[in-house]
Amino acid sequence: MNNIYIYDGDFISLLNTIIYLIKKNRKPDNIKSFEYTPTLLDNTINLSIPRNEKIIEKIRRQFGKYVLRILYCIFLSEEENKELILFYLFKNTLKYQNQVLYYRNLRCVSEGMRIANYVIHESHKMKGFLRFKELENHILYAEMEPTNNVLFLVSSHFQKRLKNEYWMIKDTKRRIISIYDKKNFYIVAEEELKSRITKESKDEKKIEELWKLFYKTIGITERKNDRCRMNFMPKKYWKFMTEMRDEL
Amino acid sequence: MKMDLQEKLKILADSAKYDASCSSSGSNRKNKEGIGNVATSGICHSFASDGRCISLLKILFTNCCIFDCKYCLNRKSNNIKRAIFTPEEVCTITLNFYRRNYIEGLFLSSGIIKSPDYTMELLIKTITLLRKKYHFNGYIHAKAIPGANQKLLHILGFLVDRLSANIELPTENGLKLLAPNKNSRNVASIMEYVKQNQNKKYVPAGQSTQVIIGATKESDLEIMKKSEDMYQNYHLKRVFYSAYIPINKDNLLPTLEHPPLVRENRLYQADWLLRFYKFKVKDLLDSKNPNFNILVDPKTDWALRHLKEFPKEINTCSYYDLLKIPGIGVKSAKRIFASRKKITLHFEDLKKMGVVLKRAKYFILCSGKYFTKREWFKKEFIEKNIILEEHLLKKKNYEQLRLF
Ligand code: SF4
Repeated sequence: MNNIYIYDGDFISLLNTIIYLIKKNRKPDNIKSFEYTPTLLDNTINLSIPRNEKIIEKIRRQFGKYVLRILYCIFLSEEENKELILFYLFKNTLKYQNQVLYYRNLRCVSEGMRIANYVIHESHKMKGFLRFKELENHILYAEMEPTNNVLFLVSSHFQKRLKNEYWMIKDTKRRIISIYDKKNFYIVAEEELKSRITKESKDEKKIEELWKLFYKTIGITERKNDRCRMNFMPKKYWKFMTEMRDEL
Repeated sequence: MKMDLQEKLKILADSAKYDASCSSSGSNRKNKEGIGNVATSGICHSFASDGRCISLLKILFTNCCIFDCKYCLNRKSNNIKRAIFTPEEVCTITLNFYRRNYIEGLFLSSGIIKSPDYTMELLIKTITLLRKKYHFNGYIHAKAIPGANQKLLHILGFLVDRLSANIELPTENGLKLLAPNKNSRNVASIMEYVKQNQNKKYVPAGQSTQVIIGATKESDLEIMKKSEDMYQNYHLKRVFYSAYIPINKDNLLPTLEHPPLVRENRLYQADWLLRFYKFKVKDLLDSKNPNFNILVDPKTDWALRHLKEFPKEINTCSYYDLLKIPGIGVKSAKRIFASRKKITLHFEDLKKMGVVLKRAKYFILCSGKYFTKREWFKKEFIEKNIILEEHLLKKKNYEQLRLF
């Protein structure tokens, strides 16, 4: 039987679980969120450990904010065994402290870094590729469908950039929405959202047309290079990009 | 008849598109009480059909010009449709695009209308409006107009993140031939002034320039020498290389079937080696080899010509030696340097550090081991393999392209 430990599905509860397992010297076959459907070979164990939020601050102080950021980004990925990788990475962090990420010969470090970089990379891409529409009430609204769960990272970016605007960003795959009220942003499940997404403002089409025109004009025909464009801007992002939708 | 915004944008983006610069990096502007900020690392918002990054709204204020540079679409002698924005129009487009996250900011250039001073005043008026009335804190790159009064250069520099003045042609002769109204001293004096005054408030993202490749006969050596000089003398952030595209017919201009894109790419690679890898132009080119090898990149080319310095032991050679190994970039060199203090590195470890082992393996030893029999460490063998690999790669890319 495989011993599968179950956690609440969020970062803090995962860290609490990992630390508990390390302390008790237990070796999980895997760690999974409560949404996990066990197979016949699984023995699921629910520890119900009390939630300790201070763990974040503690990690930041002890191992530095870079290590914390990497751990968090791994958590945001869609990697199958991310929890297990985090378990081993954290174990080694206790050993090597803030130097842990230099030990790239360890599989959990090299794999962990690969996954974290993928998440960081995608969130950086999203910061560029996200497209807002203006709704009737001047609220800006965007939809995206990133492979990894980058809504939090993307929202922190727009909190600074579009500080004096009301905006909403929806991850259509995960059905979660980030809502910004000119002070903070809140991430909620789509069905919890009370207000409706209203119609587009009357200028919206005009601006979109201007942008599409600019996009078409700025490419140099003599240098046309589809492969290069595709490398930098994979097709999976086109669906939500104003200037690309027509080319799909 | 009044022209509508659509038509103006079409004309003025079309005539701005040949400027290669697009980057929005190197500055750090905070959003105080307005709209926008600048991300230090720069952000690409889209990629055009030619694969180039779109980061800024790149437009000319006007394509009217009193000059007649041979290679330029906007030259006075061309019979084309002319347009001019109003400052408010530029603001409207910029702000609306920025709010919707289409762009990082504005790149405003212009043809020369009436006089250099008059043109520069228009640019200043527009950008002042954007910064002061609309509190726009996004990225702004403006072109400094050669020959304009230094006072205007002073004002403009405090409003923008980056300034550029294009030298366009690497030698005085080239300039005389193709841009008879231009004078390289005017460009040099802009660069000198910006260098003297540059700080956190004045042109915080530094200055850049552009050179056109293949419109005149200069060799790669002449071009790279010019770049090296400018990096040294004026602390330029970037030199952009732009493959010449025949827009105008003129018997002073070459007739090219395709723009020299591979050559442009080699120059960018070499430029990279100058800026981040401590190479000097004299390492890469000399009067006997004044042009880059079209078959392999400049670093590999250099390594093949200096095989005596190889193979290098990954576990002991200096950081600068690591940088000289083909297939190892700045990032992987740093990772190797940090990791090998703790452990001895083997071939398998290098892949995890981002090394392009396929390329690097010919030039390195890992704890005394070569990747194959040591007798194979010969120029002919390595060169043949690398060229073959490049060829296969091109073929694979081509096939991929056809699948799309
Ligand atoms: S000055 Fe020369 S390069 Fe610049 S717009 Fe006028 S004609 Fe073109």
